[in-house]
Amino acid sequence: MKLQDFPGWLRDTTLRLFPHRTRPGLRAIGKPDAAAPVIVTGNFTLTVRRMIETLDGRDVWLLVADSQGINVWCAAGGGHLTHHEVVAAVRACAISSRVSHRMLILPQLAATGIEPHKITATTGFETRWGPARLEDLPAYLDRGYRTVKRDRHMRFPLWERMEMAVMWAAPMTPILMLVVWLLIDLRTALVCGTIALIMVFGLLAAVPYVPIVGAKRFVTFAALTIFGAALGSAAFFALDSPTLVQLLGAAISATVVTLVLSVDLTGSTPWFPSYINSFKNRFDVELVEDKCTGSARCVLVCPKNVFEMDGHRRKVRIARPDDCLRCGACVVQCPEDALRFRFADGRIVPPSVVRTTRMNMLGRRSILLETADDS
Amino acid sequence: MSSYVLMKILESTPTRYDRGIRLISRGTIGRVYERVAEIAVTPGARVLDLGCGTGGLSLACAARGASVVGIDKDPGMLEVAKGKAASGDVEWIELGAMEIEDRFEPETFDAVVSCLMFSELFPEEREYVLSRAAGLLVPDGLIVVADEVLPPSAPKRFVRKLARWPLAAATWLATQTTTHALKDLSGLISKAGFRDVHEEHIRPAGIAIVRGANQGLAA
Repeated sequence: MKLQDFPGWLRDTTLRLFPHRTRPGLRAIGKPDAAAPVIVTGNFTLTVRRMIETLDGRDVWLLVADSQGINVWCAAGGGHLTHHEVVAAVRACAISSRVSHRMLILPQLAATGIEPHKITATTGFETRWGPARLEDLPAYLDRGYRTVKRDRHMRFPLWERMEMAVMWAAPMTPILMLVVWLLIDLRTALVCGTIALIMVFGLLAAVPYVPIVGAKRFVTFAALTIFGAALGSAAFFALDSPTLVQLLGAAISATVVTLVLSVDLTGSTPWFPSYINSFKNRFDVELVEDKCTGSARCVLVCPKNVFEMDGHRRKVRIARPDDCLRCGACVVQCPEDALRFRFADGRIVPPSVVRTTRMNMLGRRSILLETADDS
Repeated sequence: MSSYVLMKILESTPTRYDRGIRLISRGTIGRVYERVAEIAVTPGARVLDLGCGTGGLSLACAARGASVVGIDKDPGMLEVAKGKAASGDVEWIELGAMEIEDRFEPETFDAVVSCLMFSELFPEEREYVLSRAAGLLVPDGLIVVADEVLPPSAPKRFVRKLARWPLAAATWLATQTTTHALKDLSGLISKAGFRDVHEEHIRPAGIAIVRGANQGLAA
């Protein structure tokens, strides 16, 4: 990273909960010519910044579509990075006059929003999925634009978990400290802020080793709260003889941190389904086997390796349903409409609805369900 | 990945869009729709509404006797539009403004209208859409664009920013809707080759309505 990029990087990392827009359009990395590959991404500043760093030393076109400053996955899931935005970017930047080939490399995590055949139909550009993670792009390019199994599956390494911790801690800690300062005093505020940081970073560091999904998550959250309160109390005892108000402040702060995290800790990760999906009336991906022709598009877009191809029968099967994030990429991409969502109460969400209403499970989609036919 | 909860709030914005735009336009949005329709529509005219959103402008045009096609790339917005009672002839299509050439033949429309859409596009997109819109218009056909515009002088822009900030923040908190402003809407329309470009303003929201005529047969 160059020194002048540091303030931007700091802002993007600490405030990554919010959209950050960079200018959409075409960027040349290195000295791309007419044969250079065109890699598509969204206009979240952090992504574009990383993309340029990762592809340093290569000659490629980076086509930045307008995803409203939201990262590729969330934008696709929320309907802000679809074939419409890709077509718009291809046309606005006159890509067809810059390159001699007709191939776009799309981010795999945008498969919840982009319907590739619509891009081909309107622009003449064929598409292929790039790797799920941008750090795998150089190897992908070296391999001749082919993903290997490892590229297609999400990872959630420690450095990324720490980034998520920053995302949670950055807005939460100052607010917590301010409130405690106003209600009690500065010293208590500093202790409570420190507890909050330790709790958030500690929990995300421990994610592979403690349960944060399913009913067992409540044990984790209870333990986290007690740990935070105990740590705060210990700090007050070490500093001075604490007042009851200070001890209470530590306990309440620890509880507040846990409550905030427990709203949607998993939904902010690329690794677990959101809690919201498992509240009442859970839904899952369902395979209509008769329709499946074994195109295996679902295998190619699933970031969690849920599907397996049965080459013998020319059918896929849902091999690891418990890993599913319900992102819907498989449903959107299936050319035979053989996948759909089914709610626990039996209602289904047909692919046509998944393609247009994206991830909005709680709102409009459930209304549409009542009229959806069961075919 | 931003929190799923935050996403959920953001993606359900179509249902709150009308309220948000009413707030941020300080109640003038209805007047904007009416004025654009008044300029663009003669009875029986074929009108294309680019980025129709929840359909306010399309319906205003249809009510004046136009046969309207409202296009938007957001199916959620169109769903809200379809739920509104239409008095007149309106068709809703899921289509981006950058894709109009794929759907319509040249010289299909007597007027192309658009409200608060061009400010959502990036500069290359604006030029592209205007050039394609000209292709879909009959000779001498009208383009009428309403959008938020920035004052020409820097101090005035600063004052506007200060004055707008609280309202924009409140509107976003209540409805997750916001608007952006363009620098030189008339210049944009002129540069695209439209003639007789005329700009008028709806105060106090800083919304400009710019009209221009497509090149005539002789041109």
